[in-house]
Amino acid sequence: MKLLKDKVAKLSFVALLAASSAAMLYTPTAAAHGEKSQAAFMRMRTIHWFDMNWSKEEVKVNDTMTLSGKFFVFQGWPETVDKPEVAFLNVGEPGAVFIRQGSWIGGQLVPRSVSLELGETYEFKVLLKARRPGDWHVHAMMNVQGGGPIIGPGKWTTITGSMRDFVNPVTTLTGETLDLETYNLENTYFWHALWYALGLAWLAYWIRKPMFIPRSIAIESGKANTLITATDRKVGMAFVAGTIAIVATAMTSTNEKYPITTPLQAGLLRGMKPFEMPAKTVTVKVEDATYRVPGRAMQMTLKITNNGDSAVRLGEFNTASVRFLDSAVLEDTTSYPDDLLAEDGLTVSDNSPLAPGQTRTVQVTASDAAWEVYRLADLIYDPDSRFAGLLFFFDEAGKRQMITVDAPLIPVFI
Amino acid sequence: MSASQSAVRSRAEAVKVSRTFDWMILFTLFFVVLGGYHIHYMLTGGDWDFWTDWKDRRLWVTVAPIVSITFPAAVQACLWYRYRLPFGAVVCVLGLLLGEWVNRYLNFWGWTYFPVNFCFPSNLIPGAIVLDGIMLLGGSMTLTAVVGGLAWGLLFYPGNWPIIAPLHVPVEYNGMMMTLADLQGYNYVRTGTPEYIRMVEKGTLRTFGKDVAPVSAFFSGFVSIIIYFLWHFFGRWFAGTSFVSSENI
Ligand SMILES: [Cu+2]
Repeated sequence: MKLLKDKVAKLSFVALLAASSAAMLYTPTAAAHGEKSQAAFMRMRTIHWFDMNWSKEEVKVNDTMTLSGKFFVFQGWPETVDKPEVAFLNVGEPGAVFIRQGSWIGGQLVPRSVSLELGETYEFKVLLKARRPGDWHVHAMMNVQGGGPIIGPGKWTTITGSMRDFVNPVTTLTGETLDLETYNLENTYFWHALWYALGLAWLAYWIRKPMFIPRSIAIESGKANTLITATDRKVGMAFVAGTIAIVATAMTSTNEKYPITTPLQAGLLRGMKPFEMPAKTVTVKVEDATYRVPGRAMQMTLKITNNGDSAVRLGEFNTASVRFLDSAVLEDTTSYPDDLLAEDGLTVSDNSPLAPGQTRTVQVTASDAAWEVYRLADLIYDPDSRFAGLLFFFDEAGKRQMITVDAPLIPVFI
Repeated sequence: MSASQSAVRSRAEAVKVSRTFDWMILFTLFFVVLGGYHIHYMLTGGDWDFWTDWKDRRLWVTVAPIVSITFPAAVQACLWYRYRLPFGAVVCVLGLLLGEWVNRYLNFWGWTYFPVNFCFPSNLIPGAIVLDGIMLLGGSMTLTAVVGGLAWGLLFYPGNWPIIAPLHVPVEYNGMMMTLADLQGYNYVRTGTPEYIRMVEKGTLRTFGKDVAPVSAFFSGFVSIIIYFLWHFFGRWFAGTSFVSSENI
């Protein structure tokens, strides 16, 4: 029994040491490479990012770049994920390598959380200012309360220069211009050092005399009252009175120095302005859809009807930020990230222009290693094995329209 | 062990050994408390203590004192009743703050580059000194809980205000008003801490208008009293010797 108790004691000591080092080593999550491990249906059936643009591939410290594009809030939002009634437009990057100087949805600044509507498309823009040199994978990202982060496509961006040169000047409403990177730092160190020193002084007063064994013996033998001397009491009173006095004067002088302060600002932003997409004249019905596991290809049978007045062709299938293009119809000119672009990944059994008023049933194959690399194939292991994506059709004048598809997916293993 | 077999041969040697023992216990106490208290505070106070844009007038003021009076109460119980040493609260808070500063400086700043002016810890020392002072002067658990616990809650906000006030100066930013602290939270991207999980300025104290901080501080003080009692008894129980089988200790 004794042995057991010793062991328990030893183990709890080790656990405490581990806990203390764990606490001191805690680092807030900064890395942004969860994109591939996120469930495929989360990426395919929630937010569809398109028309993405990273304005620069190389940025100097203190220079800015913009990350812009559109996102479609999928109307077939999965039941297992909370609807984006409270969502926050974020940036997926490893820590604040870029600072976010501004972010807008439909022209409205969104430093706070917003409410988004299913079935709507929104235009967004994030202005980023380079801070820390290195090669960084920069993503658009939407955090959804109850749903977690929904990561958009990421692109490698290089920041050059030195972080030491980074400045973040801000002008307050009281007319003061300051550098938010280092502002208030000395004041913080000063007060923490002062109070820490006072705490140490209190401790030092008590530990200069013998502590545990003699005091314990005195208490055991009924002489507890002799342990606190009159001087001890005076010192105690001085410390208590001094502490209260310092807190009170510091409070007063701070209020004199900063007469104008406001509470932290918070609150949900509603009524985000959606982006008006061109009217749809094409209808698509998914007859069936299969995913061929050995061939890393998804095949769908689509019944396409053109109700417009110009012949159309299918140019792109976009799902989970992977773009499958038919290069005969559409070529990417935005230098979209290579790993997410299948320039010739879309094969349509008959992609000749579909004349107005006509209906045609075609076999569409989207094949690329991205199915595996981005673990989209894992879709077949999801609880609700459906796929979803965006189809982009182009008419004779090059005008684009976006059609969403959402259908069950059958895996083919042989 | 009988007296004839004592490990020390003279009084001077006994004093020396006892003193060595003092330092060993104090050292161990400091780091064990640092570890336990730090983990506890991170799990319960967490983001409220990490980021300036969480340090509001309602929830931070309420939550931080309530969850931080725990270890000081327990360690005080042990150190006062067994040794009449009134530095339990201060030793805890010194440990906690050392651990926090190491973490914030080396990890938040050194590893993930969040500016220190955005992720420094809250100051708990004024409350700790007063809590220990009251234990010393009153010598009573009930008095320390009631007066000290209330003071713990009340001193928290004013004790931190000189540090955070400069960050509550308003700015106009792209057509919106925010404080510098809000702006820090917006500028310095936290991938894992989206804006909506920030619990600030929420609650039902609207009728108090702008004077909400003192109300929150009083409420926090009252709950701190209860938590003090609870953790004081944890401390008493933990400092007991009934774990050890030998009868004469
Ligand atoms: Cu990435």
